[in-house]
Amino acid sequence: MTEQNTNEGWEPKIVAFVCNWCTYAGADLAGISRIQYPPTVRIIRLPCSGRVNPFYIVKALQEGADGVLVSGCHPGECHYITGNLSARRKFAMLKSFLSYIGFEADRTIFTWVSASEGEKFANVIKGVTEKVRALGPAEKMVKTIGEPAQA
Amino acid sequence: MENIEKQLREEAGKLLSEKKVDVLIGYGKGTLPYQAVPTIITEPGEAEQLVWNPFCTVNLAKYVHDVIFQHRESQKRVKPEDRTKKIVGVVARGCTTRSIIIHLQERQYERDEVVIIGVPCSGYVSKKKLWDALEGREPLECAVEGDTVKVKTQEGSRSVALKDVLSDSCFTCRYNNPIIFDVMVGDPAPPMNPEAEYEIVDAFESLPDDERWAYFTKEMSKCIRCYACRNTCPSCYCKICFVEQSGPKWVGVTIDESDTQVFQIMRIFHQAGRCVDCGSCVEVCPMGVDLRRFLKKLDKDGYNLFGHRAGESLDSPPPLSERSMNDKEDFIFEP
Repeated sequence: MTEQNTNEGWEPKIVAFVCNWCTYAGADLAGISRIQYPPTVRIIRLPCSGRVNPFYIVKALQEGADGVLVSGCHPGECHYITGNLSARRKFAMLKSFLSYIGFEADRTIFTWVSASEGEKFANVIKGVTEKVRALGPAEKMVKTIGEPAQA
Repeated sequence: MENIEKQLREEAGKLLSEKKVDVLIGYGKGTLPYQAVPTIITEPGEAEQLVWNPFCTVNLAKYVHDVIFQHRESQKRVKPEDRTKKIVGVVARGCTTRSIIIHLQERQYERDEVVIIGVPCSGYVSKKKLWDALEGREPLECAVEGDTVKVKTQEGSRSVALKDVLSDSCFTCRYNNPIIFDVMVGDPAPPMNPEAEYEIVDAFESLPDDERWAYFTKEMSKCIRCYACRNTCPSCYCKICFVEQSGPKWVGVTIDESDTQVFQIMRIFHQAGRCVDCGSCVEVCPMGVDLRRFLKKLDKDGYNLFGHRAGESLDSPPPLSERSMNDKEDFIFEP
């Protein structure tokens, strides 16, 4: 395997789907508080963690993300009252299903970060980066053939 | 079995002649001896076409949805005051009624638009298993007598035990008798063996990650994306399925194996809390993909996490359309 060679200097790519009201504000707080965290994460802001279609996660993995993080408001604190509770049910089943078919459990991570938890956001990113780094680059279900150009 | 068939024809004829239903969906004799086909009748005289035997395979709830929706489509060109409802009668076994319950819960049609003729079910014959049991010899005539299937092939007659060729879904079926019905024909069938329901999942869960992934990719590499599983699935009723959407294009069109895997993962995941394990997708798959192993996992999770079984009663809504503060969240990452 050439994995050892290619892993050198490799940094994980993590796609984070975060909710607008809590985690995104938490990330903002981490930023303005100048808390350092690894630059491995690509943040995608959504209205609510309930807006995360399980398809986004599967698609991100197919497009080569080494890890996917979904983060929203703590249960009971959703801006839309119950968005994160619906989300929690979806994620519980999706995570279990992806593990069942053989994905490493640590590639899909779910967490709650509120707007006041800048410190926690940094720790989450550190934690997720460490977990994904330990797994190495994603190999399962990564698409290698490009789509034909659209006419 | 003949008795049930006779009663079924009587009931169907009665419903049609009393105009209680406009159209009746049942099983009719197929062109292949080991396969009954969905049959749609509108005249009382056609009730003689109906059959009921262990070769009645696919879940008819799909056709109920199709007929009602095609009728609704045809009514769009009619003046609002002249629009009609179409009452659909259906011959339903346990899994079919579960699918109808899911449709009703998801507000696809009203309860008064469907008249359910319940039939007891003791399982259906899987055509793949039958071919395997005959070692590839083509069955020319098939008949079920008690516990055996009498098959005539070119090389002579053979008997196959019914339990050797029943579909996998049927052995561990929990609801082989209709859950909701308007008319019931025959006596309730004896229970199957639901205790062993999740054995297939438990065995698979105990394997290491890489072996499970290897099995998943091996199975999915057989898939030719003909979408027969989607077309036969009563829970797959979207007007525009995600596989046909082009903006965003969810499922790629290349020969990359990941495209097929993404399709399968998402189709299976869309059945979370909605799969009734009728086995139709497995039965129609031309490539013999082991779909049940993966669908059953969602069923197991739905039960273990949320105490819910798909379509078990009209009052228990699908788990993903419900929410609760008290759900387990041991999977949430805390740094």
